[in-house]
Amino acid sequence: MNVEISDLTRRFGRTQAVDGVSLETGAGVFGLLGPNGAGKTSLLRMMATVLPPTSGKLRLLGRDPGHYAPRREIRRRLGYLPQNLGYYPGFTVTDFVEYFALLKEMPPRQVPRAVAAAVEQVGLGDKAKARLRTLSGGMLRRVGIAQAIVNGPELLLLDEPTAGLDPEQRMAFRALLRDLGQRATVLVSTHLVEDVGAACGEVALMDAGRIVFHGTPDELTARGEGTGAAGDAPLERGYSAVLASARSETAARA
Amino acid sequence: MNSTNTGATEPADVDLNRVWIGVAAQVWHRQPGRLERTAARLLRSPGLARALLTTPSLLLGWVIASAVVLAAGAVATVGTGTPYVALFAPAVAAAGIAYAYGPGIDPAWELSQSMAVSDRMVLLVRALAVFALNALLGLAASAASGAAAAVTFGWLVPMTAVCAFALAAATLARSANVGVAAGLAGWAITVLGTRVAGGSLTAAVASASLVLPYLLAAVVCSSIAWYATRIPRGMP
Amino acid sequence: MDDTDLIAAMAAGDDAALRELFSRHAPWLAARLRSVLAAADVEDVLQETFLAAWRGAGGYRPVGPVGGWLWGIARRQAALFLRRRGPAALILPAVVPADGRHASDPAEAALSRAAIAEAVAALGPEGSPEREAWRLVYVEDRPVAEVAELMGVPVGTVKSRAHRARRLLRAALRSSEPAPGSSELLPRSGKPAEGGT
Repeated sequence: MNVEISDLTRRFGRTQAVDGVSLETGAGVFGLLGPNGAGKTSLLRMMATVLPPTSGKLRLLGRDPGHYAPRREIRRRLGYLPQNLGYYPGFTVTDFVEYFALLKEMPPRQVPRAVAAAVEQVGLGDKAKARLRTLSGGMLRRVGIAQAIVNGPELLLLDEPTAGLDPEQRMAFRALLRDLGQRATVLVSTHLVEDVGAACGEVALMDAGRIVFHGTPDELTARGEGTGAAGDAPLERGYSAVLASARSETAARA
Repeated sequence: MNSTNTGATEPADVDLNRVWIGVAAQVWHRQPGRLERTAARLLRSPGLARALLTTPSLLLGWVIASAVVLAAGAVATVGTGTPYVALFAPAVAAAGIAYAYGPGIDPAWELSQSMAVSDRMVLLVRALAVFALNALLGLAASAASGAAAAVTFGWLVPMTAVCAFALAAATLARSANVGVAAGLAGWAITVLGTRVAGGSLTAAVASASLVLPYLLAAVVCSSIAWYATRIPRGMP
Repeated sequence: MDDTDLIAAMAAGDDAALRELFSRHAPWLAARLRSVLAAADVEDVLQETFLAAWRGAGGYRPVGPVGGWLWGIARRQAALFLRRRGPAALILPAVVPADGRHASDPAEAALSRAAIAEAVAALGPEGSPEREAWRLVYVEDRPVAEVAELMGVPVGTVKSRAHRARRLLRAALRSSEPAPGSSELLPRSGKPAEGGT
């Protein structure tokens, strides 16, 4: 198990961003769905070791990120793409990816080859020496993905990775996800339901800080059948159905 | 890779993608310069060395600007007798130190916080390097302007305090600009305040009685900065 | 962009041009190398070939097709590789064409000259007996009697030195010579056999 989370919470002042989340996952692609403000980003930040939990148990790659040495070891084997990733405009694509490869303490000898492989894997081989300020939004997102995968991470956390990518690039990206999911735990947080259906073996749906569904994409689809829920595609209908039912439960309890 | 060659097909057991990656690895890679290699050996971390050399306030433009300001101070000192270098140096250094730091000037700030080379280490190394560089520039300018030895070295202590203050402000507010503003304002107030109290513009740097308070302020502010850079409480 | 333009771009530091050149030429180069080397070795040699092409793009002169230039580099890299690893790495040893073939490809000629120059170095330093004998007898084509007088030694000594020089040269060339009956890597003309530009 690469990720073991038990009753994890995170509070900001009076807001309960993450409210008792438990999940365990090993290798494979895991989708985290939910509307904006559901707590997906906070959950991902805790798994990326940039945010400490308020309470609960968190173990990543078999280690406790609450202490310096294990946290450093986790970070060496981690790949993270934040939702809002800024770029150093004067850097080239390879400069940027190499910079973070070094900060992840990759052995310097391995770095040039790893950087080249990552840049090619995201389809930016012909822009390798281009300055970041000359790239489009979708290309910058792919640069972000490249730095996340450069160290061959065992745990890969991607927050809205397909933002700005065109459909062809999204397909290439999903193929990349499936490939990466064979060796690592890949967690993709997105509000784009179709991304999840195509690439993820497991899905969790978050709303108001809680996990309201955890299963396979097919099971999520099944939840939407016959309910008349909103959505153009079966998975979307499942998504709407689960959300609606979770919210009405919360309202009933309140 | 798509081959545009219509004739030959590669042998099935030869991985041309692998070959290309090997070529690209060497063609795209830029060998680190001697300064970076030396830094990597001294710091025992290539990542830390790279982070140090990309410090915004250690880039050539910034260093030149600092040198120019201090040189102007030296010239003014020679002309008027007032040790302007001693008065400028802490301010210049404080600005440099605040601009060594994270949010506000580091667009990839959140990502940096998830790195194995901790951002606190990066900050520490950068702050020390900026401080050392500014101290050297200041000493050179001071010596060139022929100021008395007491004044030449006298401003190092207030400079430490002002830099620590700027850094504390920057880390607490998570903004380099706030740090610069606080540093400059704090120093201006100190200089004017001691002048009002003691009568001389250089009282802030020349007065021996202020050494202890400065050092105390430096320690307190450094602790604040250290505390403020532990894993963050949160960015909702 | 045609191949010559690509190389000009490479000389100016355009790595995308190298990428394009690679995609055009790597497949057939790999196929040809594969006929004499194991797959893993082909990958190594091909990598060194394109790196050498990248570094040498500035010195490229448009004499003959680019494919021939690349093939020349590939052969040299293959030869270097084999020299390091030993002839056991060859499936079919053939790096220098058999005697009697005319080298119509300038890259081929250059390689032959290089091979010969290396072999001559095996005779010893400039001015050594075998090397002098070889130079006077074979290069300058002087009669043996004249050489004997020039070198200040008896005719018999000249003959035996010349004989030793021939033996040394033959041995040096044979270390990169094809075994009898093997195929060779070089086509008759300078153009690559399939699919070249």
